[in-house]
Amino acid sequence: MEPLTWTGAVGTWLDPVLWLVAGSLAVGVVAMIVMSFFAAPVTLQANADGTVMARGGAFGFVERAVQALVLALCVVVLLYILAGIVTPYGGAGIVGAMAKRLLPTWIALALTFAVSIAFKRRLGLYGKLFDNVIGMIGFALVMFWVFSAIFAGVFDMIVTHDPLSQVSGMKNEVPGTPVPGVDAMTMGAHYLLGGDALARDVFSRMIAGGWVVIQIAPLATLFAFMVGIVLGLPAGYYGGKLDIVLSFLANLILAFPVILLFYLLVTPEIVATGIPSIMAAVLFVFPVVFFAVLLNARFHTRPGVRGPVLIVVLGIMGLIYLSLISQPGTIFTFMPRWLDLFDISGGILVVFVSVVFVNAPTVFRIVRGITFDIKTRDYVAAAQTRGEGPWYIMLWEILPNARGPLIVDFCLRIGYTTILLGTLGFFGLGLSTESPDWGSTINQGRGLLSVFPHPAVVPALALLTLVLGLNLLADGLREESLRD
Amino acid sequence: MLRFLAGRIFTMLVTALCLTFIVFFLTNLPPNLEKVAKSELGARISDADVESWLGRNGYADPMIIRYGQWLGVVPGWTRTDAEDGRRFGRCLPDNGLAAVPPGASEMPPPTFCGVLQGDWGFSTVFRRDVGEVVLRGLALTGKLMFWVTVVMIPGALIIGVLAGMREGSRLDRSLSTVSIVSTATPEYVSGVVFIALLTPTVFGYRLFNGSATTAMEDATFYNFTLPVVTIALYGMGYIARMTRASMTEVMTAQYIRTARLKGVTFGNIVMKHALRNALIAPFTVIMLQFPWLLNGVVIVETLFNYKGFGWTLVEAAGNNDIELLLGVSVVSVLVVLVTQLISDIGYVFLNPRIRIS
Amino acid sequence: MTNHHTFENRTHHAARMYAREHAAGDIDRREFLTRATALGVTTAGAYALIGLPTPAAAAAHAQEGGTIRMNLETKSLKDPRLWDWSEHGCFGHGWLERMVEYQIDGTLRPMLLESWEANDDATQFTLNVRPGVTWNNGDPFTAEDVARNMTGWCDGTMEGNSMASRMASLIDENTNQVRDGAIEVVDDTTVRLNLNAPDITIIVGMTDYPAVLVHSSYDGGDPAENPIGTGAFLPTQNEVGIKQVLSRNTDHTWWGTEVYGGPYLDTVEYIDYGTDPAAYVAAAQSGEIDATYQTSGDFVDIFDGIGWQKSEAVTANTICIRFNQQQAPYDNVEVRNAIQMAVSNEVILELGYNNLGTLAENHHVAPLHPEYAELPAPVVDPEAALAALEAAGHADTEFELISIDDAYQAASCDAVAAQMRDAGMNITRTVLPGSTFWNDWLNYPFSCTEWNQRPLGVQVLALAYKSGVPWNETAMANPEFDALLAEAMSINDIDARREVMAEIETLMQNEGVMIQPFWRSTFRHQNGEFVGIEMHPSFEHHHYKWARAA
Repeated sequence: MEPLTWTGAVGTWLDPVLWLVAGSLAVGVVAMIVMSFFAAPVTLQANADGTVMARGGAFGFVERAVQALVLALCVVVLLYILAGIVTPYGGAGIVGAMAKRLLPTWIALALTFAVSIAFKRRLGLYGKLFDNVIGMIGFALVMFWVFSAIFAGVFDMIVTHDPLSQVSGMKNEVPGTPVPGVDAMTMGAHYLLGGDALARDVFSRMIAGGWVVIQIAPLATLFAFMVGIVLGLPAGYYGGKLDIVLSFLANLILAFPVILLFYLLVTPEIVATGIPSIMAAVLFVFPVVFFAVLLNARFHTRPGVRGPVLIVVLGIMGLIYLSLISQPGTIFTFMPRWLDLFDISGGILVVFVSVVFVNAPTVFRIVRGITFDIKTRDYVAAAQTRGEGPWYIMLWEILPNARGPLIVDFCLRIGYTTILLGTLGFFGLGLSTESPDWGSTINQGRGLLSVFPHPAVVPALALLTLVLGLNLLADGLREESLRD
Repeated sequence: MLRFLAGRIFTMLVTALCLTFIVFFLTNLPPNLEKVAKSELGARISDADVESWLGRNGYADPMIIRYGQWLGVVPGWTRTDAEDGRRFGRCLPDNGLAAVPPGASEMPPPTFCGVLQGDWGFSTVFRRDVGEVVLRGLALTGKLMFWVTVVMIPGALIIGVLAGMREGSRLDRSLSTVSIVSTATPEYVSGVVFIALLTPTVFGYRLFNGSATTAMEDATFYNFTLPVVTIALYGMGYIARMTRASMTEVMTAQYIRTARLKGVTFGNIVMKHALRNALIAPFTVIMLQFPWLLNGVVIVETLFNYKGFGWTLVEAAGNNDIELLLGVSVVSVLVVLVTQLISDIGYVFLNPRIRIS
Repeated sequence: MTNHHTFENRTHHAARMYAREHAAGDIDRREFLTRATALGVTTAGAYALIGLPTPAAAAAHAQEGGTIRMNLETKSLKDPRLWDWSEHGCFGHGWLERMVEYQIDGTLRPMLLESWEANDDATQFTLNVRPGVTWNNGDPFTAEDVARNMTGWCDGTMEGNSMASRMASLIDENTNQVRDGAIEVVDDTTVRLNLNAPDITIIVGMTDYPAVLVHSSYDGGDPAENPIGTGAFLPTQNEVGIKQVLSRNTDHTWWGTEVYGGPYLDTVEYIDYGTDPAAYVAAAQSGEIDATYQTSGDFVDIFDGIGWQKSEAVTANTICIRFNQQQAPYDNVEVRNAIQMAVSNEVILELGYNNLGTLAENHHVAPLHPEYAELPAPVVDPEAALAALEAAGHADTEFELISIDDAYQAASCDAVAAQMRDAGMNITRTVLPGSTFWNDWLNYPFSCTEWNQRPLGVQVLALAYKSGVPWNETAMANPEFDALLAEAMSINDIDARREVMAEIETLMQNEGVMIQPFWRSTFRHQNGEFVGIEMHPSFEHHHYKWARAA
């Protein structure tokens, strides 16, 4: 079986085009940078024939050429992907095989973008995102990973090999090496991005690692937000003693060196004492409280609706909450098996709890700051005059008006959480060593970095693109919400 | 002002107390104490022996009493061996890990030996006084952070100002993208990539060293650049973006427009009018970044084998060295809170509108 | 009056027997040299018995002076009897010496002893203390020092004292201290040992790294604080976790300069780079170290790639992925055998240690031990393994394999877990950091421990698998095994010994004691500027031999 090259047969004619375009682009960018030091600022220039030009001359030409080349580069990349999807396996090399594998993701992305752009005027802030190039790029990067993770984790598509299985003979092999014992030229015949030190497929582990990260990071950030909002709103609204106490607690946690906190919390000894379970019980009650207060405040004047809604919603959430904290092998084991919906292993739970615990104070501070600002507005005064209860005002008047900065911070914070998870993996805390999450794989791969870079560089790039996408998305959202 | 300062210092002390008590509580849980006993005696002692060793060495007292001993408000535990009269005690050499033979010294040991008396305890990992270990770590990390600051702050400010002075320009877009990429690259990613790219020997020449251990004694360009740049790069992005935001806000102010209408050149506008106002916010941001840089220091020191404060923290935490961990926690808390205080005071001083009002 | 026979006239009869066995090809050179010199034959005499010239020492190429920097996990020292890491010995042997030293070629070199003799059935040993040796504070070194130290070794009541199990034949079972009359000081230079049972391992037991002799003023604690010893170096820097430095003691006339030559170096610097081999590579490339303590598995190729010289020691160092037979479900021998059947040692060697070793057969007796009896290779059949597990009623049981975070151990255990998973068994992997792992290593139900080699094959069996010994992590208590082991510990001829060992090996395989996948070769790399620093199979550092190349 032949090893795969990076671009295969398609590459023989597409690669030169790529080099040409990329090379010209590089030359153009350098020229632009150099010339920008000598160029005049943009002014309107009237030409002899009555037209008006914004930028003329050599610099203007170079600018337009660079724009065109960027577009050409995008087209070439798109061609690679299309070629990979269309040609049979191996025709377009490693890049083509990966593109083919990721077909569900491409379709999902295309559909999402098409639908969103078609209805963008009716979709509020999310729709406005699609007016902003930076935001769209960020959104595309993030949803690429989200879709890949969901398709891989839930539907078992995309990955070519089991992330945990070790195949003798593939230890540290370079990308494109054929798997011994497979003769047909189908998916699974090669390790697309090579093998790691334990002969596992790097590509499959990268996608599976994405599933682990996508499961933990957004959810942990959401919980942190719940805690931060439930505590930050009253602190900002009431002020006074409540504010002093809560701010002191928040500062206390923020003053903790994060890594020290992880070492203290995320060890097998601590899990045995049951402290993470207690912390989980406390922290995970906040979403339940949030929804309880939210719905109660909303339907306070309509008891007929309030009763059933509360019972249903709180019933479901309560069940989920109890299943979450009831864990055989820990101090909470009160749920009978038939009622216990799911079990999370102790290691993941303690990672979750630590990440939520570390992020909550910052969210608290942000929410508190925003609340201080918004509670002076007129509509809040109007609501107070109307006689609305304080929680109604906090949750249904103040919070919706704070959603802009909060959404932006949410996106950024998912990025920080992803980085934090990687830090945990770097120190060997938390998730099991077999877990394909990106922090652990980077840590395991860095030993042999000088000879076999691919096991560490691939998850590093994955982490980089996801966090970059989140940052760009947050930037785009911020720009659009400020344009309101 | 003085009342403000006094209030903040009081809060700082209370925070430090609470934090160290939490650390004390977590490190003195029974499973962790068992770890301490076994690392002193050897791995194969029985549980009964663990209990008796802990009892004999002052670990059986209630948690709050032991915390008081560490603080220095409660007398340290003592014990005299019935058989040979040797004395053990917290206030004796090496925290009681080394016995004092009977009659060895005529001076009675001090009754109180805690933080208030200046005795920070004895490190079981490094076999030295905690004060010595922490100071050594701080000195080394101080050297690292000094160079990080020298590289990071001017770089970030320059990037931020250049990006912010013409919002939306090509320069702004490209510099912003660079800053965003650098905030998306945590130290363990950038450090790993740098080591992979820049340390191998190519054609007999090597650009940089991948190990900073000799930098502890003699920091040169070759062994110190990579650690400094790895930390600086991560911090630079965020500070640059904050500077850019502040700069764009200032550049759209009315007085800048007036200056342009007056005919002041662009360079003079930036240097003489915009900069002073734009740099107020980044100053506070820089101060508030220090706690996050401490995180990065831990990772980088582990990656490059530089045995500073961050590495000491990891060693202490990994081996449950209680006294050293408490000392390290106190120092970390103080660093965080002092930088916050400087940031708040600085903000007041730098902004004439607030200072004068 | 005792007759003092000189060595030329009196060579132990067993040594001649071993020489005949070697000539017949029944034992290899290493084991012959070890056994012969253990009975008192000099190195030259031993080589002569098998018709070989004594190998020339490297002293001819050595240069005086210089410094060597090596990476080492610098640990804090404690009472030598409690030493449990080779690193303690690496630093401590600079000024504290042993009576006998195990060489790379398998011979025993007399250090603080000049020679020793054994009686016919190895129940009485006469130790001749080297005359003219002084402690570095000026006190003379006499037989009294030897007796005092050996009495201390026999203290079975001291927790963590591993010397006691090596000196078992000198210990009174009732008091758990040295037996009356077991250690006799005959005169200033002679000590006689009277054993209660034949034991050929006692001299070899004195070569292990904790077996150093301390001065009478030593009272426990860190010996580096008041370094009185007989050795040629002194500890001049002792920063645990950072750096430990040995400097040549110019105020002390070392006895060995006349006898063996050396020491050549001025200082030996040990710098701590942690446990991550990537840091050693970085240090080597940066020129911060001259040689590695040990290069493991995947990194051998990297060091070769940067142009460093390699020294390989083929050893009986190994890992035991063992079951604790007192904890369910591993108390069921069918479960243990089923798990063994699902796993191929070849795959573990490839993925865990990069094929840098030889295959093993799950019974902890190495091919380089001469009494090794070859058994058919273990059967690997994942389907039959799952069927056997189902028959035992444990098809759905979740197993947990615990290991330390050391690279090759974790990798080997991951390979075991992957193969068990492929066979259809439920297994989770747990990796613990060092400090947590060693807390409880004896009690884990299914875990992996590293075992270093001992000069004689029977030593490890006695240390690890005999009923009730302190390091018995498998909780194996098999009277048949104990009886066979006692037989193997006394002197027999090679065929009888091999029969006994075949029975021991088969018993261990049938009992499913553990998965012991490979014997690993250990490597050291150096930048080419030094001689005499070859890799020792037991990780010992003989500082007086190290020198800069001329």
